[in-house]
Amino acid sequence: MTRLRVPQTLLASIALLAIVALLGSGASASTQQDYISALVSATIVYGLYMFVGSSGVISFGHISFAAIGAFSAGVLTIPVGPKHLTMPGLWPFLAQHSVSSLESLVIAAVLGGVSALVIGFPLMRLSGIAAGIATFAVLQITYNVLNQWTLIGPGPTTLALVPTTTGIWVSLLGAIFSAIVAFAYQSSRRGRLLRAAREDAAAAQAIGVHVVRERLLAFGLSGAICGLGGALLVHQLGSITTDQVYLELTFLTLAMLVIGGSGSLWGATVGALAISLLDSFLNTAENSVHVVFFELTLPNGSSDVILGIIMTLVILFRPQGLTGGSEFSLAGLARVGRLIAASPAKLRHRPARSEGPPAPRTDM
Amino acid sequence: MNAGQVIFDGLALGALYALVAIGLALVFGVLRLINFAQGELITAGAYSLYLTDNLPALASIVICFAVCIGLSVLIERVAFRPLRGASPATTLVATFAVAFALEAIWLMAFSSNGKPADPLASLNQIAIGGSLALRWVTIVEMAAGVVLLGGVALVLARTSVGLQMRAAATDFRMARLLGVRTNLVISLAFVIAGVMAAVVAVLFTVQQPSVTPTFGFDITLVALVGAVVGGVDRLWTATAGAFAIGFASSMLADLLPSSQLQFQTAWVFLLVLVLLLLRPAGLFSTLSRSTVERV
Amino acid sequence: MVAEPALEIDSLDVRYGVVPAVRGATLTVGRGEIVGLVGPTGAGKSTTMLAVMGVVAPAGGTIRFEGSSIVGRPTERIVRMGLGLVPEGRHVFEALTVEENLRLGLIGRPDQSGVERDMEWIHGLFPVVYEFRRRQAGLLSGGQRQQLAIARALLARPRMLLLDEPSLGLAPIVVDTVFAALGEIRRSGVTILLVEQRAQITVGFADRTYVMSNGILKMELTATDADATDRLVDAYFGS
Ligand SMILES: Nc1ncnc2c1ncn2[C@@H]1O[C@H](COP(=O)(O)OP(=O)(O)OP(=O)(O)O)[C@@H](O)[C@H]1O
Ligand SMILES: [Mg+2]
Repeated sequence: MTRLRVPQTLLASIALLAIVALLGSGASASTQQDYISALVSATIVYGLYMFVGSSGVISFGHISFAAIGAFSAGVLTIPVGPKHLTMPGLWPFLAQHSVSSLESLVIAAVLGGVSALVIGFPLMRLSGIAAGIATFAVLQITYNVLNQWTLIGPGPTTLALVPTTTGIWVSLLGAIFSAIVAFAYQSSRRGRLLRAAREDAAAAQAIGVHVVRERLLAFGLSGAICGLGGALLVHQLGSITTDQVYLELTFLTLAMLVIGGSGSLWGATVGALAISLLDSFLNTAENSVHVVFFELTLPNGSSDVILGIIMTLVILFRPQGLTGGSEFSLAGLARVGRLIAASPAKLRHRPARSEGPPAPRTDM
Repeated sequence: MNAGQVIFDGLALGALYALVAIGLALVFGVLRLINFAQGELITAGAYSLYLTDNLPALASIVICFAVCIGLSVLIERVAFRPLRGASPATTLVATFAVAFALEAIWLMAFSSNGKPADPLASLNQIAIGGSLALRWVTIVEMAAGVVLLGGVALVLARTSVGLQMRAAATDFRMARLLGVRTNLVISLAFVIAGVMAAVVAVLFTVQQPSVTPTFGFDITLVALVGAVVGGVDRLWTATAGAFAIGFASSMLADLLPSSQLQFQTAWVFLLVLVLLLLRPAGLFSTLSRSTVERV
Repeated sequence: MVAEPALEIDSLDVRYGVVPAVRGATLTVGRGEIVGLVGPTGAGKSTTMLAVMGVVAPAGGTIRFEGSSIVGRPTERIVRMGLGLVPEGRHVFEALTVEENLRLGLIGRPDQSGVERDMEWIHGLFPVVYEFRRRQAGLLSGGQRQQLAIARALLARPRMLLLDEPSLGLAPIVVDTVFAALGEIRRSGVTILLVEQRAQITVGFADRTYVMSNGILKMELTATDADATDRLVDAYFGS
């Protein structure tokens, strides 16, 4: 089990987010977008982490809630005038109302949370592959409905003219808020119960933990944070299509979580920021970028190839994630430091491990 | 469209998904691994058909098989073998990452424009005409599905390596303790998965002669969902599930009122959700495991 | 003391994560011997056997079988060298028939000659296995499964057999059958390392018995110590 170092891991996460924001605040307008993207990704990954990290059940459905957040926030903040023109089929209530960006963030979080609760209510009984595929079905349904139903949104066309209010500081605040919520949840009694149930569901059930109910709470909370993340995203981009909150984002956010180390808040922070910034860097490098002494220009389209290969390599060499799945702690940092300083033989010992696929009791 | 035609189309789509599911189920059986990269094998095979378009159809198809099998074994060796024993979330994301990288490679090499590939275009001809058109490709797909499923089942039931595969699928550690060469067994599963991918690549290009970077990924995703709904840990249930989802989505396309047609995917996946909730272990899985082969 | 060692374990350390399960275990089993390994639950007995079979990787120490080091070799190679393990909990393949389970036993066999003869021998040792050969292994009782598991291991023609608590949860009469079979197997020339919780029976049955507790080998007893209960109690609970 991960030991929760009270505020150390939260403070470290916030510090890392703040560093990214500070770097971004000094950058040129276009580079700044990369840093904003990293912080928005962190928000969504915190949402994902709250459920996957605590319950051990994998979810392919979280981007549904980001999509719901993005489209509700977007549709609600476009001024009434242009809304009639771009989305003539819109439900009159939506067409005639417009809210501020701040209000839209709250609404997106609430909608994300409520829809997660409603969907999660029947789904939380499932675990393993069945849960994976069921949440994937949720993603497909959300995508299909958002992509086709012009009563609630732009349908297959781009949702445009959304106020771009997610600047570097707003994205930082959003990420910090999400980190605090995630940390508060995981340190709470309910959060610890669910973690205990992840280690040993039968034992937890035996001492009276209602696993399904605990999972539902985590799912609802994480849906709310993902909804908030989606709203921040749409206010960053100013326009969005359903394809931007679909399979690729689902995969990337899951990869961020696993690559960081899915068992810890610190892992979520590190994974989200590292992969997001790497992704942006590689994209920029396709149009050439200065790296210390030389100019780097990647061939067109190669950035995703490199990203995919790097992600595969990181997983191969650090299957527990970059952070090893443990929370940040100064003591741990010192220990790592001592280990590195000490003879390399110490690092070489391999702990006992059983070969072959994991025991069937493990969830996906 | 008349009812007979709908059924034929459903059979064709179902058979295609079933072929994909055979490979998925075998690999899942021995490694407990959902291989999202399986679709990329199909895409690779289809692009190889495009690249060898000027060769005789037979040569082109042989190369396609070599590409699919080779890539399948290579991916297992390089990306999955080192992760044996890692957590399921990790291996799952690894298969995703491999698929992501390969898809990016296809995009870079071939762009998102469709590339023509149809070595067996003649299968598009109508076998039985009249009020309902039964095309050859439907017949071939059905036959390939039945023959290959039967063949794999026979290998599993009758051969020593099949027995070893079944043993490794139920209790990996005990199989090793009996001397089962698990690496060999796993490689074999990936070889068969490669064969299935090649068959799908060849047959699917008949229906869709334009190859795009997501050519294989999309159908694999649906086949996977069907396999899980049917019960992915057994060959029969997984293929039956994949067949059912193909058949059902084809039927639904016809049965839905035209105002709902745009929501076909949503309806299919709603059905998936309901079935998963009712029978999380698989629609076709029976309580007594004795009668069904575990793979 | 032991003329020709079959298995030599020296200063074996095994850890699960950071938790040590075996600490500095050193033991030797001579060719043709039957050696017991007893100790309270969690002592590290199963872990020792899994380390020998290459299922878990040791953190330190050496393991030699018939003179050559087997640390780091894959399990299936170790099986082919002539070592067999009947693990704790009778892992028979429930979905397969008894016959299919036996056929899996043949996989690790060095050569496929003499299968018929071995089969007959095994049917003599465990008549129930023969009687139920067409049945689903999942339908066998616990005792029948244990006999099947041992029979299956024998079909690989091991020169040394490791048995992990073969008597666990069996009715007394079945325990007798199993122990009688072990005696027979030993007489056929197979070296045996036997892990048991029932110390007294084991000490009386084996040529020598090691006592393990908390990952550490505490002492070595011989058959004459079988009645020295106080020494056993000491070994189990003493520090
Ligand atoms: N897979 C595992 N992961 C973590 N710890 C383990 C694992 N298997 C065993 N252990 C621990 O290692 C120690 C030794 O276990 P082992 O199974 O070797 O004991 P044993 O002597 O065989 O006990 P028993 O008589 O109950 O079978 C125990 O403390 C146990 O909790
Ligand atoms: Mg034991």
